[in-house]
Amino acid sequence: MSTGSATAGQPASIDEFNPFQAMAQRFEVAADHLGLDKGLREVLRTPDRELTVAIPVLMDNGSMRVFTGYRVQHNFSRGPCKGGIRFSHDVNLDEVRALAAWMTWKCSVVDVPFGGGKGGVICDPRELSLGELERITRRYTTGIMDILGPDRDVPAPDINTNEQTMAWIMDTYSMHVRRTTTSIVTGKPLNLGGSRGRTEATGRGVMLATREAMKKLGLRPESSRVVVQGSGNVGGIGAMLLHREGYKILSMSDMYGTVLNESGLDVPAVLAHLKKHKRLDGYTEAEHLPNSEQIELDCDILVPAATENQITSANAERIKAKLVIEGANGPTTVAGDAILEDRGIVVVPDILANAGGVTVSYFEWVQDRAGFFWTEEVVNARLEQVMVSSFAEVDKRAQEFGVSMRIASYILAVDRVAKVYRLRGIYS
Amino acid sequence: MSSPSAQLHGDADDLMPITPPLDEESPFATMMSVFDEAAEKLQVEADAYAILRKPDREVTVAVPVKLDDGSLAVFDGYRVQHNMGLGPFVGPLRLDPRLKIDELRALAGWMTWKCALLNIPFGGAAGGIRINRDRRSRGEVERAVRRYVSSLLDTIGPDRDVFTPDKARDEEIMGWVMDTVSTHDRHTTKAVVTGKPVVMGGSLHFRDAVAQGLTTILALALAHQDMDQGHGGARVIVQGAGSVGGNLARLLHEAGHSIIGFSDITSAYYNEAGLDVSALLEWRDRTGSLAGAKGEFERMTNEELVLMPCDVLVPCAVANVLTSRNAERVRAKLILEGAHGPVSARADKVLHGAGIPVVPDILANAGGMVVSYFEWVQNRQGFAWQKEVVLKRLRRFMTEAWSEVAKLQGEREVRLRTAANMLAVQRVAAADKLRGIYA
Repeated sequence: MSTGSATAGQPASIDEFNPFQAMAQRFEVAADHLGLDKGLREVLRTPDRELTVAIPVLMDNGSMRVFTGYRVQHNFSRGPCKGGIRFSHDVNLDEVRALAAWMTWKCSVVDVPFGGGKGGVICDPRELSLGELERITRRYTTGIMDILGPDRDVPAPDINTNEQTMAWIMDTYSMHVRRTTTSIVTGKPLNLGGSRGRTEATGRGVMLATREAMKKLGLRPESSRVVVQGSGNVGGIGAMLLHREGYKILSMSDMYGTVLNESGLDVPAVLAHLKKHKRLDGYTEAEHLPNSEQIELDCDILVPAATENQITSANAERIKAKLVIEGANGPTTVAGDAILEDRGIVVVPDILANAGGVTVSYFEWVQDRAGFFWTEEVVNARLEQVMVSSFAEVDKRAQEFGVSMRIASYILAVDRVAKVYRLRGIYS
Repeated sequence: MSSPSAQLHGDADDLMPITPPLDEESPFATMMSVFDEAAEKLQVEADAYAILRKPDREVTVAVPVKLDDGSLAVFDGYRVQHNMGLGPFVGPLRLDPRLKIDELRALAGWMTWKCALLNIPFGGAAGGIRINRDRRSRGEVERAVRRYVSSLLDTIGPDRDVFTPDKARDEEIMGWVMDTVSTHDRHTTKAVVTGKPVVMGGSLHFRDAVAQGLTTILALALAHQDMDQGHGGARVIVQGAGSVGGNLARLLHEAGHSIIGFSDITSAYYNEAGLDVSALLEWRDRTGSLAGAKGEFERMTNEELVLMPCDVLVPCAVANVLTSRNAERVRAKLILEGAHGPVSARADKVLHGAGIPVVPDILANAGGMVVSYFEWVQNRQGFAWQKEVVLKRLRRFMTEAWSEVAKLQGEREVRLRTAANMLAVQRVAAADKLRGIYA
């Protein structure tokens, strides 16, 4: 099946620690396996549309500042674009492009009918008042209004944006179009068309991905020791749900340090401590270690759910886990991947393992369009259905092509987008 | 009678100018006093209070209609939209010769609280035409409704403002609304109005929705009050025999409760051993009212009936049945407001003092609004739900709202009415705050 050059369109020098280059490399490998022709590869690499807007804002001190905002729509063959909006001083167009493409693959793996999009505003939210943030959000929304819409492009929260930001976007859009339009954005508060079960969706997806991988490997939760890197929305909730399923959670961490208890952490107590003290420091029922030691702890399952580039060429040889579940985006580098694969360690890749979030975002959009809201049980049951069937589809590709789950997930995602692209044809 | 309209059209009351008198026990005063109490208990910020107390928008339109005799009459039409924080507006279309904009303001506010309390994603509205449908021909009423709807096209829509019927018999009018909007839109638009005939996208169980909701609430309230229903169920007086009271009496009777009092505008019957509800409903269906029905019961006035001893009193007829003038003589152990505002603000305090809980209208009679919402959902999806599905979901919405009200009432030690309004005001204020002010 393998034809063409795996490195076509790649930058000359490859940086192991650039997760977007890693994504692009994996795309090329999948495209090779699928035998995609040059033209279609070109199409799938290139964003469909990019918009840059100036955002003039009256600051609280009476001065005027102009911020820059972007919205990139990577591919809308499979449906309206979907992806977060981040507010950060280091937002740049290249990164937004890469994140948009990432969303295309993620939506495709779990088969939600969206393409990928991403947006961002260059600003430092720590220096801005709530009023200034609101004015930035509303003006940015107005600026990209013509390419937004429930059937065009549906934003979501990302770094430094939250429920409140989404409420402002929904209100701004609704006022412009003269009608209530909750389905313009997901991640809204519950009383403005948000979905039940959304906050814990990514963590729940991680738990379900773990469960499916365990079945595949013939392992049992009761005899499995888990190390979770992170303790936030993904790691914390993921650990809690795994704990409830009977797994033994040995270790968790936050940005300041790691807790370890060989006989298993009392996860609810750890999270209660974290909620109260804002950090894991001072939790008494565990040993405390520096974060650098956590990833190499002896365990069965490793769940990196914090940041990117955690498993690299420098430490992959010393990973003890049999199974890695990527809760975070891009925690394993391409070089790290190769080493884990050689050693027979199974990696459930980010675009599958942490897709619970985008899946429930999709559910939110569905509920908003229907105007009817599901109970938490229904949301969770449907999420389970999506995670289980997506896992099975990826696993099937892995067997079929004789590749890792990572490459299999890209094969599945790219194939779905490519098929739809061919069916729709080029409208000229 | 020397106004120009009187000269033109005789003493037609729907064309006379009206200055609305607002007395202390008007439904508007009742609603606002409860709202103020809830807002105060919640310590709603001054800004939020100012927004919530005023309608978002009021539209007045002239409704010119060619009368059957070839002359032209111009009726007044209104639409008041109270608060859009939680979603599109929803509320009744009322045809009434004594229609006052103040009453519509109150009604619109009421709808806002009801939707918020029931967790329905709508804000409240109310509107209507000042027209006397009993004196106008069907054709004249239809032309008035269609012209009124055309004038409001920029204001209404499935995601803007949705009409609901004011009275159970208004199906046909709702059909005209749907047809007028659809014709203008150049596509079928069902979700702009609820209470349509079933063949036009109306929901099943629309007609007995309020009664079904009351039945659910009655069971929950009895359990909550630890009122032993014994072998024969609760002893209930139902005032009113229309789509609410009539259906309620039937449903409660079927559920094993004993209906000991039943009335309509013409007659009131009482028998402490229980009335033969089926026979009375049959009589009503055959003759058009309860007047002259035969059976074993005491005949009395409506005023007397509501003061008779019973476990549960459900006034389902008109507003201000219980006021400061008679509240002290009430001998019920529990009251459910089936109608809008049957217990006046002052009576509410008297009953509270006497330890008689009152389940407020915005909770007790919300079944109609819930099924209106269901109809809108079904129309948007283009998929109609089965009877059982409608009923099951209606019960879920009523039960959830009841539980939340009962919980808050216990925590804050307030009346059920205050608790219901607190929950509602809290939700709307939160949504308004999250959305912010768009400038």
